[in-house]
Amino acid sequence: MDEGLSVIRVRDVLIVTMPADPDDPTVAALQESVLVALEQFGARGVVLDVSAVETLDSFFARTVAETAQMIGLMGGQTVLAGMRPSVAITATQLGLTLGTAMTAMDVDRALDLLGHE
Amino acid sequence: MSSPPLSKLHIRAEIDMVAVRRSLRVAASELGFGITDVTRIVTAASELSRNIFRYAGSGTMKWRALDEGGRTGIEITFEDKGPGIVDVEQAMQSGYSTGGSLGMGLPGAQRLMDDFDIRSSIGKGTTIVIKKWVRR
Repeated sequence: MDEGLSVIRVRDVLIVTMPADPDDPTVAALQESVLVALEQFGARGVVLDVSAVETLDSFFARTVAETAQMIGLMGGQTVLAGMRPSVAITATQLGLTLGTAMTAMDVDRALDLLGHE
Repeated sequence: MSSPPLSKLHIRAEIDMVAVRRSLRVAASELGFGITDVTRIVTAASELSRNIFRYAGSGTMKWRALDEGGRTGIEITFEDKGPGIVDVEQAMQSGYSTGGSLGMGLPGAQRLMDDFDIRSSIGKGTTIVIKKWVRR
């Protein structure tokens, strides 16, 4: 079920939009969809837009961290964009870390980070 | 039937975790919890219902509103008849996992809630009761 997971390419960056409340198979599908698209489009960076995400639990966070690590192995960069304050507070209390992913306030700033001023 | 609808849900598939999160998001919001506490409650419930699915295969989530001395709160009970937890104290430590996860589900859920009670017996199952109070 890919309900709400969209991957679009803007120049050489992939923008992945996560749905508000994805089930585990949708979260797991993120990894492969993104890595396949990265190779297919020769993108050099990925923006993971989590601005709609209402719940970031340990499974979701681990998948994001692993995906960022895999993108890194392929030579790309990952920026996590738009985390809500309530999600950031909860994720920190839960003890989640996001590995090698950079972060930005929104997709605009994420594109700046990846060199699209 | 005096209990409100969706106060008990069965957890036996991954999609049921979504139902758990959705029903608790609505319930906690209606009880007057702010968005950050709603997120804490829903995230804790997500961890505990995933544990049921992963380790016990199936179980239930029940919730009810609390009203004690003018305080409003929510109590959520997760119950399964799975294998039980061999060492509860160890399972409550961050980074400990027998299932290849990050091992932050139980201790993380405890940090997010005001009250956390776990009972487990080998071969019989596990019951976890969590509570949170609306901040005044």
